[in-house]
Amino acid sequence: MKKVMYLEFERCIGCRSCQAACRECGGHDAKERNYVEYIDFFESRQTYPMMCMQCKDPACAKVCPANAIQITEEGVVLSAMEEKCIGCRNCTFGCPFGIPKFDFEENKMYKCDMCYDRTKYDISPMCASVCPSDAIRFIDHDEMMELRRRRTQMNLIEGKKPSQNDKWQYVPEFFGVYSD
Amino acid sequence: MKGLERSFYSKASMYSFIVLMVLFFLLWMSTGQFTKVKWASSGYMIASIIFFIGMTIRLTAWGLRPATQQMIKRSFQNMKTKKRQKRNTKAIVTTLVDNIILQKYIFKRGIYRGVQHWLIAWGCIGSLAITFALTFNWMSFKMVDPSTFAVVVFGFETLKMHPESIFAEMSYNALNITSSMLLVGLVMAITRRLKNNDLKVTERAEFDLLPLYLMLAMTVSGLVLTVSYKFLSGWMHPQMALIHQITVVVFLLYFPFGKLFHLPIRPLATAVPMNYQEEVGVDTKNCIGCDELYSNDDQITDVQAILGQQNFDFEMQDGHKLSDYCPACRRKIRVMNHLNMPSPFGKTMEEPVQTNNGIHIPGFGRERNETFYEDVKGEK
Repeated sequence: MKKVMYLEFERCIGCRSCQAACRECGGHDAKERNYVEYIDFFESRQTYPMMCMQCKDPACAKVCPANAIQITEEGVVLSAMEEKCIGCRNCTFGCPFGIPKFDFEENKMYKCDMCYDRTKYDISPMCASVCPSDAIRFIDHDEMMELRRRRTQMNLIEGKKPSQNDKWQYVPEFFGVYSD
Repeated sequence: MKGLERSFYSKASMYSFIVLMVLFFLLWMSTGQFTKVKWASSGYMIASIIFFIGMTIRLTAWGLRPATQQMIKRSFQNMKTKKRQKRNTKAIVTTLVDNIILQKYIFKRGIYRGVQHWLIAWGCIGSLAITFALTFNWMSFKMVDPSTFAVVVFGFETLKMHPESIFAEMSYNALNITSSMLLVGLVMAITRRLKNNDLKVTERAEFDLLPLYLMLAMTVSGLVLTVSYKFLSGWMHPQMALIHQITVVVFLLYFPFGKLFHLPIRPLATAVPMNYQEEVGVDTKNCIGCDELYSNDDQITDVQAILGQQNFDFEMQDGHKLSDYCPACRRKIRVMNHLNMPSPFGKTMEEPVQTNNGIHIPGFGRERNETFYEDVKGEK
């Protein structure tokens, strides 16, 4: 897998196509695994799409007492293996980003697996393939860096200054180059 | 225990030694000081011994994981607490009945899957129990007089029955019954694996398919043995017996190291109702961000302890951990950080959350080889 997921929260228009597409993905059992939520409902109607970060060292896998969460060789963090998951929900509390979902009926956890059946072959995941406003993109690493650089330029043109929180938006080459 | 542990190389070797001693003692007891060891089944016996050692080592390794250790520790603590006895008993009984004996949660994933899994699981457990009982001579039949058979358990006569009663027939054919269950379940499972495309996404031949085909070979060769001596007057019996023995030995050696290892870890599911959720889906802890119920105190304490042990630093500036917030609030915290917006949850985090703690456990995730980066560079 040589492509990367690139999210731009500001671009989200809240159409929830990504969630509809997620439900269609093979193996997702008609349940969506991503989120579209309001950033601050009382301020604006801005929404954001949210999916798993596919951490390199996932907290969800480390807090799993049954060792059920596996990572593929491409680095995709899969849903808990159904035969091992004991349904304790540790992963949903361990995850720093609040991603894993839990099905009480079937007693198992499920989470965004980046549509592994597709991304394994560099086909864009369901959510990215349907996003009408390009808030979710599945693009080459170079293209992603290009977009980040352009973002920097726009930030500087608009006269924004980097802060502790978003310095990676100003010097993209040095922060968070997630090629792995 | 600590003192004893020091006499061994590792915990795993200590427990293996204890298990070996117990097996040795049981064998000594059941075979009348080794006078009645069944040498014909010595292949099964050695494989069974290796099975037990493998199981012990795998279980010990699994128990050493910080997450598992924490959960087991809390389970033992709660089991010792007198006030919680009622809840503990209820948890153990419901898990045993719903989760292990009836496997209700799998039936909820689909009737077909439920039936298939139940047949394989109980066929497998039954066959294993009979295999161990017979090879170690823990259980055998003895003729008391021409009209009475006795079941001998560990060298003691227990149950007496007529050699042609239904119970006697059932016990002679127990392995046939369990293997027929296995056969039906396995055919169902293999059909599902072949037909269902969704499964192929994460399917691995050596992990998901090998055990099925291995069990199929074992079951079929075992049933052929019965057919051979019942209907074909022993045609090809010695050859088939050898083939069956080989398949069973491979299966026993494979068991602790592959997919089937999920069997001994299932009892850990008792920890969920016992430690965390007394009733399914009922939460008792409030999120400090939105005040919604999302978990319970014990579980959050445990999760934080496990994360702390493994050097995950998810502490915010105000001293709260990220797991003190409900998942929805955590998503919001992340997004507000990304957008550089003032968070409604007091102070924001100083830096983006780091999930890479720098400790790389071998075999946990595989690093990419250098050629990958060269390929990426080459494309520029």
